[in-house]
Formats: sequence, C-alpha cells, structure tokens
Amino acid sequence: MSRSNLEQFFETGKQREFDTDFFKGAEEYEVWDEIDFDSQEEIPGEQTFEIKAEDMKSYAAGCLDDNPLFTDEEYARNSPYGQLLAHPIFHTQIIFWCIGSKGRGNWIRTPGSRNPGQYLEIYEPFRVGETIHLGMRPYDRWIKRGKYYLSYEINMYNQDNVKKAKAIGTLILPKSRDDIRKFLQGLRGLED
Amino acid sequence: MEKLTFDSLQVGDALPSISHTVKQETFWKYAVGSFDYNPVHCDPDWVSTAQPFGIPQTVAHGMMTWSFMVTVATNWAYPSTATITKITSKFLRPVPAGTTMTCSGIVSEKHVIRPGKHFVVVELKAENQDGDLLGVSQAEIVFPE
Repeated sequence: MSRSNLEQFFETGKQREFDTDFFKGAEEYEVWDEIDFDSQEEIPGEQTFEIKAEDMKSYAAGCLDDNPLFTDEEYARNSPYGQLLAHPIFHTQIIFWCIGSKGRGNWIRTPGSRNPGQYLEIYEPFRVGETIHLGMRPYDRWIKRGKYYLSYEINMYNQDNVKKAKAIGTLILPKSRDDIRKFLQGLRGLED
Repeated sequence: MEKLTFDSLQVGDALPSISHTVKQETFWKYAVGSFDYNPVHCDPDWVSTAQPFGIPQTVAHGMMTWSFMVTVATNWAYPSTATITKITSKFLRPVPAGTTMTCSGIVSEKHVIRPGKHFVVVELKAENQDGDLLGVSQAEIVFPE
C-alpha cells in the first residue's frame, strides 16, 4: 500500500504523525491465545488524545457526514449545543490513537482481523480542549463457528478522570501468532 | 424542521434515509479519519491473496458502516437537541468497493422512565443496492420533554 494514497487526505497533525503501517511490528501484537485475563486492573493506553476541532472535523469528513454541528465551529457555537460536537463514533479515532502500535490492546491493528459488531455507551459528549486517556481490561474471549472473538472493555476518561464513554471493542482475530505470520506473508490466517 | 420531543415520537416513526456509493478512495479517507489502517480496508494488493473475508477485494470498515447508520440518527435527532447515550452494532456482510449503501431507521421502542431520562430506541440498518442487509445498529436517544 502506498502511503501517498493516504496522504492525499491528511489534514491534521495527528494524521501526519500516526503510524499507518499495521504490518510493522505485527508479529509482536497481542494475540488471541495469549491474552492474560487474570488481572482486571485497568491498562492505560500508549498515549493520550488532546481533542482539537480539526480531529472532530476530520472524523466527520472520513464518514462523509457534513452535518454542520460536526464540521462548522461557528454554526455549532450558535446552536443549542453551544459548541462543536463529535460524531458519536468519533471514539474510534481516539482509541486507535491512544492504543498506538506497541502498547496493550494493539491487537486492534492485526492484519486480517474482522469486525463482527461493537458496543458503546456515551456518558458525556467529547469536547474540544479535553485530553482523553484510556483504561482498558480484557472483557471476553470466545469461539463460535470456528471464529476466534476477543473483546476489551475500553473506558475513556478526560483530564479530570471524568468517564466520558465506554466501548466494548470486539474483533475476530487470527488465533495464534503463527496465523498472524501467515497474514503477514499474504496468506489467509483464519480457520473458518 | 419540526422540533421532535419525546411525547411527539411514536413507535414506527421512520427516519430519513441516506445513501453512499463507496469506493477504494472512500476506504482510504475513512482510514485517515479513524486511524484504522488495517490492510483489509486499505491494501488491494495484499487482500487479493490474504482474503480475510474470503473475497479478493478490500472492504469497508465496519466502523464506517456503523457511522453511516448513526448519521441517520444524528441527522434526525440532533436538530431537536437530543442526546445519544448508547449504541450497538452488528455487521452481517462485507462491503466491497462499488457498493451503494442505503441506511435507514425506525423508532422501535419508547422507554418511559422519568423526566429527563425517557428515551427511544431506534433500529438502524444498512442495505446494499440489492436489498441485502449489511449491518444493523440500535441507538438509545434521549429527547427533550
């Protein structure tokens, strides 16, 4: 994949900084059959996410949503909401950013993973100027029809430790590190 | 646009639908907006052999399909200063480039709790140009009294 295919859409500092190569270091990603469920202490993300208006606007652009509440700061300021809103699925950007490439939870970057469905609770809207950090814990792991599912509970807090949202992030993953290696070689590493 | 209130809503009310025809550029653009650069969405050469979904084509992000479905809810509810508090999703079919996705919704439940906590459940769905179901979502939305 040529990075230039992606760079044509870059608009924010985070987009220029983020490591877009999900193959790099993938042999070291957490893997389905090695996740430790014994400890239920919250695991922090690799980095925090300072919310800028450009981040919210770039998410809306990515999902082709031109609602001015998501894209026009002046319009949003004069609306009953009084400020720019984030598209409800904006947390996707926060989670990928905060987990990064080397920390716990990096299985969400696994080449060949598939998304069966997701869960999200929103307690307060994300606001420009907040700095969000994650607290994650392994939530569930199961096998169904030959597919290997893994879920993490991902809590999102602002700089005052106010819980803003909770996601249960789930993917169907290659079962083992050997299966990931197959995908890295361009071979199918799933059993179903 | 008419302001919606909890009292004005009825089970069975339909939400205005939206449609998008997705291309490889759409997947790249969503990857940039979400930071999800999984090659199953972004790398046509790799997918031609790796085929995580059993087809030699890249497919849309489930989170993008979800976002499209949720946009149906926000387009409808946010002009009335409503708040989305909970959303679930399930993705049923891969969405390759060239798909025209139509997303729609319907009010399926009214929950009468107490003032300020009443909410409706909206069932959202995404279908392709052949009417095949691609994904479903449920959103809980609190409306002003």
